[in-house]
Amino acid sequence: MKNVFYILLLISQVFYAQTGFEEGNNLYQNAKYAEAAKAYESVLEAKKQSAELYFNLGNCYYKLHQTAPAIYNYEKALVLDPTNKEALNNIKFAQKQTIDEIKVVPKVGFAKLLRDFTGIYPFETWAWISIGLAFLFLSFFVAYYFYQTVTIKRIFFFGMFVILLLLVMSISAAFFEKSHFDNERPAIVFAESADVRSEPQNASAAIFVLHPGTKVYVFETVGNWKKIELTDGTEGWIDKQAIKEVKD
Amino acid sequence: MKRYLILFLLCFQGLLAQVQFEAKVSKTTLGLNERLRVDFVMNIDGDNFVQPSFDGFRIIAGPSQQVSQSWINGKTSFEKSYSYFLLPNQKGNLVIKQAMIEYNGQIYKTQPIRINVTAATEQPRDPNDSQVSADDNLYLVADISNTNPYINQPITVVYKLYFNNIGIRGFEKVNDPKYNDFWNQNIDIPKLVPEEGMFKGEQYRYVVLRKTVLYPQKSGKLVIEPLSLDIGVQLPTNRRNMFGEVILVDDNKRVSAGAKTINVKPLPEAGKPVDFTGAVGTFDFKAIPSKTTLKNGESLDLVLSVAGTGNLKLFTLPKPEVPNALEMYDPVHDEKVTTPLSGMTGKISDSYTIIPQYKGDYIIKPMHFSYFDLATGTYKTISSKEIKISVLDGPTQTATATATASTGKNKIGGVEQFQYIDLRTKLTASNEPAFFGSNKFYGLLLLPFLLLPIIVLFKKKKEAIDSDVFGNRIKMNNRLAKKYLSEAKKQINNKEPFYVALEKAMHNFLKAKLHIETSEMSKDNIRELLLSKKANPEAVNDFIALTENCEIARYAPSSSATIQHDFDKAVLIISELEKQI
Repeated sequence: MKNVFYILLLISQVFYAQTGFEEGNNLYQNAKYAEAAKAYESVLEAKKQSAELYFNLGNCYYKLHQTAPAIYNYEKALVLDPTNKEALNNIKFAQKQTIDEIKVVPKVGFAKLLRDFTGIYPFETWAWISIGLAFLFLSFFVAYYFYQTVTIKRIFFFGMFVILLLLVMSISAAFFEKSHFDNERPAIVFAESADVRSEPQNASAAIFVLHPGTKVYVFETVGNWKKIELTDGTEGWIDKQAIKEVKD
Repeated sequence: MKRYLILFLLCFQGLLAQVQFEAKVSKTTLGLNERLRVDFVMNIDGDNFVQPSFDGFRIIAGPSQQVSQSWINGKTSFEKSYSYFLLPNQKGNLVIKQAMIEYNGQIYKTQPIRINVTAATEQPRDPNDSQVSADDNLYLVADISNTNPYINQPITVVYKLYFNNIGIRGFEKVNDPKYNDFWNQNIDIPKLVPEEGMFKGEQYRYVVLRKTVLYPQKSGKLVIEPLSLDIGVQLPTNRRNMFGEVILVDDNKRVSAGAKTINVKPLPEAGKPVDFTGAVGTFDFKAIPSKTTLKNGESLDLVLSVAGTGNLKLFTLPKPEVPNALEMYDPVHDEKVTTPLSGMTGKISDSYTIIPQYKGDYIIKPMHFSYFDLATGTYKTISSKEIKISVLDGPTQTATATATASTGKNKIGGVEQFQYIDLRTKLTASNEPAFFGSNKFYGLLLLPFLLLPIIVLFKKKKEAIDSDVFGNRIKMNNRLAKKYLSEAKKQINNKEPFYVALEKAMHNFLKAKLHIETSEMSKDNIRELLLSKKANPEAVNDFIALTENCEIARYAPSSSATIQHDFDKAVLIISELEKQI
């Protein structure tokens, strides 16, 4: 009886969340962006998420000219689905609304090459690829073990080692991507104007001022301060209330 | 007569021998403002007079040389003197050093003289001279409007020269006041106009010499340095000229308005807005764009202006924050400020030229201008309205559209548009743990490798089983016996198939147990084999009876009760034999 109750509860939640999404879509179609955003937010409050939900929410805020929440939600969508073309497209529109213009300095070197390779898939995909390869390895072994013909046996034996190598590579890629995912902490500036200081103290000199919608990367937290780096490599300390981390 | 001669001779002798050279001063103690006369007197006609260096004095007249020779009663006296008039430069003990002359190859020197210079003394008035003193009739006064202002609150300093009964020829500035820590602006006075006014309870005439507006830039006690003027005055005397007019005497008089201290209050910290840039006064703030809807390539001017009264030149205007898709150039600053005595008034403005880069709607956020209102003593903030700028056409931000030569064709595509929302989604729990790194992941990853030894073992086992032919046959017959028995059970209502199945089941049972082929199957053989296997003879008999019964019953009529009975019996016998063999 208790189980049934829980299942019912779960189903009703899913149903509710789904209707919240639909409701948001309807409101968006009628250009009621503020209400649509509220409907989408209610889905998030029900502990449900999806890349599309964040994307739609970002669109609502973009239409409301709230640059910081728009970029924040597009970034959230891209965390769930890094190759989401629509989000990648619309975030560019939102970024044009920001006040700060910060160049993106491309990284170079071996690490960048490695990251380019591992970044093809997110770590979850790499995990599934690893499992697929493990089972493929098993099937190759079975084939090698049961086939009687020497040539086929040899082919499968060789194939086993190739697959083992690929398996090790995909697991390493998954670990690498996971650590990258954990260490990369993007954040969006929400404060109307936030001073970036050279030291985590109010008394220290402000190096520059950031405005809503600017993307920064967080490195450490000391008290009320967070050490950030901009996309052009400039570093500084910012009040932690001024920014919102995307992966929170 | 003889006595006289001797006396004369003596005298003469004495005169000849006695060379006198001495310095005489009019007084040894004098005030700083008094003059000193110094005479170097000798009774010979000395040459090469060397005057002393009058340290601490200024020579105002001299040297004047005077020679006198007289014969009185036949007595000759000679005197030669050099006179100086000196004015002391400083107070204290001064020394007039030795002067030298040469006479008949000999050098004579005077004694040094000590002079005590005291402070200036009051000059006794000449009782006959009714001359009006400039001292009591000439005043320079600095009028300060407010000696306790806030920072940046305008105050005025007006210098007035009061005079009575005397004439003014002109004046010369000796010392211009420096307004340190003040922003100051002089108000030009084109023509000095004498006016009448009360001063010290008397009717005086005055001229306004100078008006200055000051904006204190620092809190605390600030000192305005005095203004000093050298004024040429005309003092009336009691003498008259031939026409009966009063003869005026020209004189110079130095006057100065004393140093004034102004106590500047800092602006209150309570309620001070964050974006306060120091504006004090009464202002109106506006941000006006020249247009809000424009095409690509057009520019717009955004004018931020502050109009009102206050320290207009002393603060900065807020800077608009525009999206980076709008290119904003440095502003053109314009000031239209006049400074009357009440303080700066007018308008300052910053004009920004903005050129949009891409199509779209852009918002320029409201700008805030804060100032300190002197009337209420509080801070006030004026916010401009949010400005929405629509750029009608132009490239979208990512379009690298090259101008194509093919005109007249409506080219579709290649332009990135703002994407519409997704209408379908698959929601997942937001706190769902990551698959990678979970136990499920490791389990699935290791499962194939755990299966490897199992597969190897399985294959080994299978090979072993396959190689055991005899055992396989038993197994097969056993299986068949069970199969036919269950088939018989199914056919329990149909007599013929039932007995066929039952017989097959029993045969297969025997095959499995006795390891015999169908060809060897005869009743005697069966009995013998069963008994040799130490089976119960009774059970063996029953078994054989049942087999025979099966053959008969297939063709004989029998009720369902007997069929059931036969089945039960078969099961009983088979299980019994199973135990025994």
